Amino acid sequence: MRSDSEPRTTTSGSRTGGGGRTGPLAAPIARHRVALGMKLLLYAVALTALFTFPDVAPSRYEVTVAITLLNYAVLATAWNFVGGFTGYISLGHGAFAGLGAYGTALLVVKAELPSFPALFAAAALVGLIAVPVGYAALRVRGASFVIVSIALVLVLLLVFQSWASFTGGSRGMVVPRPFPGMLRTEHHRVFYFLFAALLALALVTWWLIDRSRFGLGLKSIREDEDKAQALGTPTFAYKLVVFVVSAVFTALAGGLYALWFGDLDPVFQFSILSGAYMVLMALLGGVRHLYGPLLGALVVGYALEYSKLEYGDTPLHLVTAGLLLAVVVLFMPDGVIPAVRGLAARFLGGGQSSIREVTAAELLHGQRAAGSAAPPDSRTRKEVSS
Amino acid sequence: MSGLEITGLSKSFGGVCALDDVSVAFPHGKINALIGPNGSGKTTFFNCVTGMIRADSGRITYRGQDLTGRPPHRIARAGIGRSFQLCRVFPRMTVLDNLLCAVQPRTLRAKAGRSHSRAETERARHWLTRMGIDHLERAEAQNLSWGQQKLLELAGVLMSEPETILLDEPAGGVNPALIDRICALVSELNAEGRTFLVVEHNMDLVMSLSHHIVVFDRGWPIAEGPPSAIRSDEKVLGAYLGV
Ligand SMILES: Nc1ncnc2c1ncn2[C@@H]1O[C@H](COP(=O)(O)OP(=O)(O)OP(=O)(O)O)[C@@H](O)[C@H]1O
Ligand SMILES: [Mg+2]
Repeated sequence: MRSDSEPRTTTSGSRTGGGGRTGPLAAPIARHRVALGMKLLLYAVALTALFTFPDVAPSRYEVTVAITLLNYAVLATAWNFVGGFTGYISLGHGAFAGLGAYGTALLVVKAELPSFPALFAAAALVGLIAVPVGYAALRVRGASFVIVSIALVLVLLLVFQSWASFTGGSRGMVVPRPFPGMLRTEHHRVFYFLFAALLALALVTWWLIDRSRFGLGLKSIREDEDKAQALGTPTFAYKLVVFVVSAVFTALAGGLYALWFGDLDPVFQFSILSGAYMVLMALLGGVRHLYGPLLGALVVGYALEYSKLEYGDTPLHLVTAGLLLAVVVLFMPDGVIPAVRGLAARFLGGGQSSIREVTAAELLHGQRAAGSAAPPDSRTRKEVSS
Repeated sequence: MSGLEITGLSKSFGGVCALDDVSVAFPHGKINALIGPNGSGKTTFFNCVTGMIRADSGRITYRGQDLTGRPPHRIARAGIGRSFQLCRVFPRMTVLDNLLCAVQPRTLRAKAGRSHSRAETERARHWLTRMGIDHLERAEAQNLSWGQQKLLELAGVLMSEPETILLDEPAGGVNPALIDRICALVSELNAEGRTFLVVEHNMDLVMSLSHHIVVFDRGWPIAEGPPSAIRSDEKVLGAYLGV
């Protein structure tokens, strides 16, 4: 009896394992392949679109809109170094963009530096300024931090508006173009690619931090700062470092904008609105995802540009932004990317509505794998002994 | 051997005096317990010792090192780990990431390195296996049951390699089987050389597990000694029965 039952259960065990490879076991692998394929395809399409856009765009106007969107994408991604990793919501990041823009402009005009060295010098200076600012602001959490960050913009707006002799005051400031002899179309084309390069740099940096031990420390701050400290994470130093990185990227975007646009107005440079747009874009796309802010910037930026084009300079674009914010907060608290992922997973038949189910599936998967790898497993023995 | 030594520790919240000039010492290498009625200042004591809140006065030394006024992460690095009264894990992170968060890279190079390095992942798995929750490695912490979260928190604390571990009500809200498991773990870990300081209301657990007990009442240590002495101490009975 014994010798009879043992091989039988063994073969039946391996049969379920073998059958699994084409049936239930194959599903996760196939889904993984499909996801990878779709990812690669998306990358290819996105990159092709990015590189060919200036050539296929119907007019110069579309290119300028694209540059504006890329600028938004850099700003939102830069904001997300703080907002996404640490969960600190800064409404004052507009200040760093403004400082980057004015810093670049002033270094070109007053210090007569060449355009691009001026841009990098200004970004470095903003990084230095961000140290004491972060030191003060990052001591408070939650709503207090939001308010401190707003105060930062308001103070700078007052300074740059009233210090007329230096900054042109409320009349604004003209920034000399970096390539004086260049045609308008070519100027836009160059800046389109410069903004794309800056975006790529910001994304790569975010990605590198995301996978690092430093990044995991930052994310633990977002989850529970006290707990992170109790585990030995130097939370304040971590927050400060990433705040400075964020400020530098924001300043680079602001400075590049100054060189491209050639005209600065303190009311726009130091507005709470620009900081609020960064928050909206990042939240809309999803702050936990590398491409979340980029995606949000495309959606919000396009909506803003569209309503400006259709309805002129009315407050309607503010209404648009407000509505978008309401939709995000109400229906997609984690942003578009997780929402779309959830839909896609359901569409692909995964039914990944919760982590629990995934673990249950994986558990089963693991058990099956163990069952087929070692035929005389515990199940067989139990059957034998009973 | 001197371990954690506290002298003249005081802390009040507004009018409430949570700790009143407390001086206690906990022997190194032992399982110590800190007991007392609700609101007697046990959690406040933990918070002061770990730097989570700043005491009004007092000195904290650990193995001859002065830790007074140090920020929490420095105290953690000095070798003191803690759990929280209402279990705290990183809710929207996987179980594995919860543990990897406790790894503290020292050099810049290590900080920039990948968070999921092989050696650290293996070490994390070791602790998860020991807690019996290794099969949940990829689950999000918020989806774990209460008991599993308690085990996860303990695994996280252990991952940070503390010599001394402060546990705030490890058996709170946990079923009897898991209580036994946690007791066994604490004993084992103590035998491996770790010092414990456990706050707990479960008297059976305290009496069977600990070597040395300190009793707080209204922010003040009213008794200390081995379980046998504490069990029959009149002041302790008085504090608990409200006499
Ligand atoms: N953050 C705070 N603000 C104000 N009062 C506080 C604070 N933390 C603790 N207290 C007060 O200090 C006293 C001691 O509280 P603590 O939490 O340390 O007690 P405990 O011994 O841990 O009690 P339990 O056994 O119920 O957990 C209580 O009277 C409490 O109300
Ligand atoms: Mg307590």
